[in-house]
Amino acid sequence: MIEVAGLHHDYGGQPSLVDIAFTLAPGEKVVLLGSNGCGKSTLLKILDGLIAAKSGRVDYDGQAVSPSTLKQPDWRRRFRREVALLFQNPDVMLFNPSVYDEIAFGPRQMELDDVDARVRHWAGLVGVTEFLDRPPFTLSGGEKQRVALAALLALEPRLLLLDEPAAALDPRATGWLVDFLADLPVTLLVTTHNLGLAPELGQRALVLGEDHRLLHDGDIEPFLADTERLIAANLAHVHRHRHGGLEHRHWHGHDWQ
Amino acid sequence: MPSAALERAKFLVWLAAIVAASWLSDAAWLAAGLGLVLLAAGRAVFRLTRRALLATLAFTGTVSLTYAAWFWWQQDALPLDWLVTVNLRVLLMALLTFLFIERTNLFLALGFSRRLSFLLVLAVSQSLALRRTLDEFRQGLDSRALVRVGLRDRYRAAARAAGWLFDRALANAHESARAMQSRGMFR
Ligand SMILES: Nc1ncnc2c1ncn2[C@@H]1O[C@H](COP(=O)(O)OP(=O)(O)OP(=O)(O)O)[C@@H](O)[C@H]1O
Ligand SMILES: [Mg+2]
Repeated sequence: MIEVAGLHHDYGGQPSLVDIAFTLAPGEKVVLLGSNGCGKSTLLKILDGLIAAKSGRVDYDGQAVSPSTLKQPDWRRRFRREVALLFQNPDVMLFNPSVYDEIAFGPRQMELDDVDARVRHWAGLVGVTEFLDRPPFTLSGGEKQRVALAALLALEPRLLLLDEPAAALDPRATGWLVDFLADLPVTLLVTTHNLGLAPELGQRALVLGEDHRLLHDGDIEPFLADTERLIAANLAHVHRHRHGGLEHRHWHGHDWQ
Repeated sequence: MPSAALERAKFLVWLAAIVAASWLSDAAWLAAGLGLVLLAAGRAVFRLTRRALLATLAFTGTVSLTYAAWFWWQQDALPLDWLVTVNLRVLLMALLTFLFIERTNLFLALGFSRRLSFLLVLAVSQSLALRRTLDEFRQGLDSRALVRVGLRDRYRAAARAAGWLFDRALANAHESARAMQSRGMFR
């Protein structure tokens, strides 16, 4: 479904992605792991054709994805309908006067005639029905994230790219999200640096190292059990713990940051 | 690698030139100054002039038109000298400043003053962050646009971005002021 080869990107000379290559098959649920600043958001934006990589290519169903190819109206229409990106900061994708209009934004562009039914359906599933009349910017961070998710799902995309979807969610909402995503019939690429959550979101992990290269591509469980590699990816660290009068040091990953 | 002394000298020249431009009231001298700056700009002359014109058009345009309208209403002669001088002066100052910013390493130029460097770092980091955020808002709209986005949606997205930035800027200003206070500024 997605094929990435030899991808490089930098911002003003500072590399943010180095020699990235992988493929996503239809129906796969994949977790993209990596520490702060290793390039996860940048990769998702390149996959969504929002920024042009400095070199390398991204193909979606065999067709090249980039800001320039997406100028072609038919291709854009198809790609934007089938591929959806949830931004790390949902504020940047919410600009309609009400939550209702926000969710209806995609279906209206498609000129569907079941817009109202779609809006209510997805608002209900994501649990934002009570906010339908409110302006999105008055909601909390977690509520905004759910509205943004409903707005994307209303187009019933085939590929869902989610950038830290659980970062603003409380534990109950996170549990809900995990179950919700597991049942969703889409191809999924989710970023997180929450190691506890990662195996719940997908069976396969792509791990970006601090050198911005792909450090691991494969089953998630063996990777999470490999302390050396976790530390190399800066996903686990050693620090002191104080329990009563005792103090000791050991490595661990932080589930909730 | 530019030396700090050279960059500081450029800063002083720019400062002197700005002061001079604001004192001169003779259109001929201002025009001569403009000619010098245009010469100094070399190959960048068209790009910089265009940028300076765009940046000053709103100001000089409004001021000139208001004055012209006022004098016309008073049935008086148009104060042509005055209009020419003001427009020349504003354009000269803008060009001087753009040229200076382009040709100088500001961090080196202001390195002599801890306070100025600090303010510069604040300004630069704020404007980079601003640019990044605006890019993100643009991408947010782009990622959801199946067809070319209409004017109304563009306008809405821009208004939302402005609102968001305004909230952020207010919060940041408070934070920055507090951070600077805690590091011994404003005393
Ligand atoms: N618009 C931009 N301009 C300049 N540099 C940028 C920009 N966006 C990201 N970067 C830099 O590129 C690198 C990768 O950033 P990116 O946002 O992709 O990381 P990330 O893995 O998503 O991090 P996080 O876990 O904090 O979300 C970072 O060093 C970041 O500072
Ligand atoms: Mg990110």
